[in-house]
Amino acid sequence: MSADPNAPGFSLPIQVVEGGGFTAWLAEDHSVPVVSLAWSWPGGASLDPKGQEGASALAAALMTEGAGDLSALAFADALRDEGIGLDFSAARDSFDGSLRALAPALPQAVRLARLAMTAPTLAEPDVARLRARAIARARQSLEGPRGRGARAFWAAGYPDHPAGRPSGGTEESLAALTVEQLRAALGRHLRRGPQGREGLLVAASGAITAAELAALLPELLGALPEGAPPAPPPLPDFRQFGTQVVPVASPQSFVLFGQPGLPVDDPDWEAAQVVLRILAGGGFTARLTRSIREERGLTYGIGAGLDVLFGQSVLAGSCATVNARVAELLGVLRAEWKRMAEQGPTAEEMEEAVAYMTGSQPLQFTDSRRTAATLLAMRRNGRPLDWLERRPARLAAISRGQATKLAARLLVPGQLSVTVAGQPEGL
Amino acid sequence: MCALSRRAAITAAAALPALAVLPPARSQTQPASPPPAAPAALPAEKPLFGASLWTLPNGLTVVHAENRRAPVVAHYVFYSVGAGEDPAGKSGLAHFLEHMMFKGSPNVPSGAFSRRVAREGGQDNAFTSRDVTAYHQHVEATRLALVAGMEADRMASALFPADEIEAERQVVQEERRQRVESTARGRFREDWDAAFWGRQHWRGRPLIGWPEDIASLSRDDMLEFFRTYYTPANATLVVTGAIGREALEKLAVADYGGIQGRPAPYDKGRRNRAPAPDAPREERLMRRDPTVQEAAFLRGWVAPTLTGATPSEQAYPLEVLSHLLGGGQGSRLHEALVQSGLAVSAGCGYDGDAIGTGNLELFVTPRRETTTAKLEEAVGACIGTLLEKGVTEAEVARSIRQLTAGTLLALDSLGTAPRILGGTLATGLPLEAIEYWPARIRAVTRAQVEAAARAVLARPSMSGWLLPEGAA
Repeated sequence: MSADPNAPGFSLPIQVVEGGGFTAWLAEDHSVPVVSLAWSWPGGASLDPKGQEGASALAAALMTEGAGDLSALAFADALRDEGIGLDFSAARDSFDGSLRALAPALPQAVRLARLAMTAPTLAEPDVARLRARAIARARQSLEGPRGRGARAFWAAGYPDHPAGRPSGGTEESLAALTVEQLRAALGRHLRRGPQGREGLLVAASGAITAAELAALLPELLGALPEGAPPAPPPLPDFRQFGTQVVPVASPQSFVLFGQPGLPVDDPDWEAAQVVLRILAGGGFTARLTRSIREERGLTYGIGAGLDVLFGQSVLAGSCATVNARVAELLGVLRAEWKRMAEQGPTAEEMEEAVAYMTGSQPLQFTDSRRTAATLLAMRRNGRPLDWLERRPARLAAISRGQATKLAARLLVPGQLSVTVAGQPEGL
Repeated sequence: MCALSRRAAITAAAALPALAVLPPARSQTQPASPPPAAPAALPAEKPLFGASLWTLPNGLTVVHAENRRAPVVAHYVFYSVGAGEDPAGKSGLAHFLEHMMFKGSPNVPSGAFSRRVAREGGQDNAFTSRDVTAYHQHVEATRLALVAGMEADRMASALFPADEIEAERQVVQEERRQRVESTARGRFREDWDAAFWGRQHWRGRPLIGWPEDIASLSRDDMLEFFRTYYTPANATLVVTGAIGREALEKLAVADYGGIQGRPAPYDKGRRNRAPAPDAPREERLMRRDPTVQEAAFLRGWVAPTLTGATPSEQAYPLEVLSHLLGGGQGSRLHEALVQSGLAVSAGCGYDGDAIGTGNLELFVTPRRETTTAKLEEAVGACIGTLLEKGVTEAEVARSIRQLTAGTLLALDSLGTAPRILGGTLATGLPLEAIEYWPARIRAVTRAQVEAAARAVLARPSMSGWLLPEGAA
């Protein structure tokens, strides 16, 4: 990528490529002979009807288990013989496809991806095999404090919306899914229109020219039926539920905490990123890490951030500590939440956080899959083409006053909902 | 539920990879490492990373691979020491010490290392395995001297401040609870290794240490360990990315050349480890756990590896065998157990670049209706058939093709090259073992795979079950 290290910010030239009625964003880079594509539809697990939890996820996994005249094994061999990565999955609010291939294998990768989207077999033995795997995973996810806690946290935050249900399904729902229901889940998503946030979005990165990508798009997606996925059910506000204990036999409790976040198009979105980097970000500089891990040895790792779903977000975080010290940890957490809400960040913290967020931009574009995924996320969040290029200037313009005001608006200590999975003492 | 799995940078990312999951995190398709097998003529194909290697007068090995994709560099220092060098009764020392390396050196106050790296837009972390300990930073290319200077400062004389040890000990114990004690699978993995190799054998102890050992580790232990093993002659500096060789040569001398060298404590590939048993100490391990929802079955054998004075000729064939036996769809185990409806998943792992000894391991999640006896019988039949009738040319060709097809994808990330280069060189293997790994895999023959299978799978094995309470 032709970035000038002396330029004030990292610049990633993004091309808008059109072909066959499809539009893709492309970060072209021929330094390594690899191409990655990422595409997605809105919906995902949120479109699974009640009682059919996991339908989209299981159907997505089955797309690469036999398609056209290729059996499941023949399809897997066709991918692995050329080192092709092809994956379909359903998240809480999207249905996603991605592929990565060495440049010479790209035509084969596109052919297989198209087959998977237009002619998946869903043969009975393969459905049975993947259903058994999905059920085992669903049960296994509830074995320890981590999985049990996460399940309870989201269920309590969204009691009446699919976002509160496990997107991979439950033992019961997976066991009852029919092949017709799985086909219907695919039919809801795999459509060619409209281009935009309500429909299909595509991004690409790596050793491919704009002209080659323009020719590839109709190859990959042109055979999809017209139409768009139905609108997902509107997301209610994240429900505050106080403190919830999920008893799990374990010497250590897993703690999840959260409160309502901001919509991705909030004008203070980036001020929130700065404030949260300072309060709860990665590395050793964040206040929570310093006060909870470094000073008190209360946990191995703690972090929180804005978890985006349906264009909204939840401010959510987690950590784990020995049962006897959960109350102490929650006390420090709430105190730090309050201190940031009342006083905001210091000027020095602001300067350090902005320096990190600006300086680390080039590190995010060293992997073609990650680059394609980043471009796709920008499109899903409705960002303009020059979003990255102008980001350093926007970050530099955030004043301490703006950040302090935002901290007071975003961080509401009384709204912090907490799930503790384990055998906590003194709660 | 993505954000909830996002951890502070030091968490999940890198450290102690094999602890928490049942199928050990092992490279099955990644360029693992290779032996100087036969001194055959260099393969005509292009080297994977095009790396070059030299040594400073104080003994520091320097490795360079240029990649101009983005204006960034990866800076890694690997020490040829890991949990395998923890003294008897002091398991967890290598790992605890790694945590304490962030607590200051003469010119870098405690905590300032990561803070300065972040201030410059970089990312830093460290990890400890059984065979190596690594410290690494990814930064924009003009910041390389900053991180190299700080890394050299702690290589020369890390401080291990006494007043920060207790809080960090609590962090390590929390890490242990998180990775091991709060999950049935973590506990089972630990029990398995201890039963297989011995609870106090260097191969059978947990990398993070037994809790009672962690509790008693002292600052003096750290100082002695540091003096013995943290010296340029026992370290490998790997820098990849947007920097030329000449610039790195100058920088390496400027920042690391002045560190007074002590002699290397040992040969990097051999160490001073006690001999490993040539068969598992136990035949069976049964564990029942009320929190377990899905049973797990393991069967393991001792296997030779590429490292040491006499690299095993069977190591490359065993990599192929491992794929053929348990490399997903189309493998022997997948057909016998998953396609047949007996199991949900089945796989095989082999740590061919481990120092001292390795193992070949099968891991299976059976379906609930499959009894333990029935599953073990099917696994036994699969192994029996393989030993009796051998393998086919087509199977070997397929495994070789699929193992090597994606090798170049290793270039598609900033961290992969330095991890593979450093991890392999720090265990005493030659650079060619990485650069020409695909050619060495392609040279494996059907006869070699069959001979390796007989040499390993016909020997005693250990079988183990993790079962839900009340399961048959």
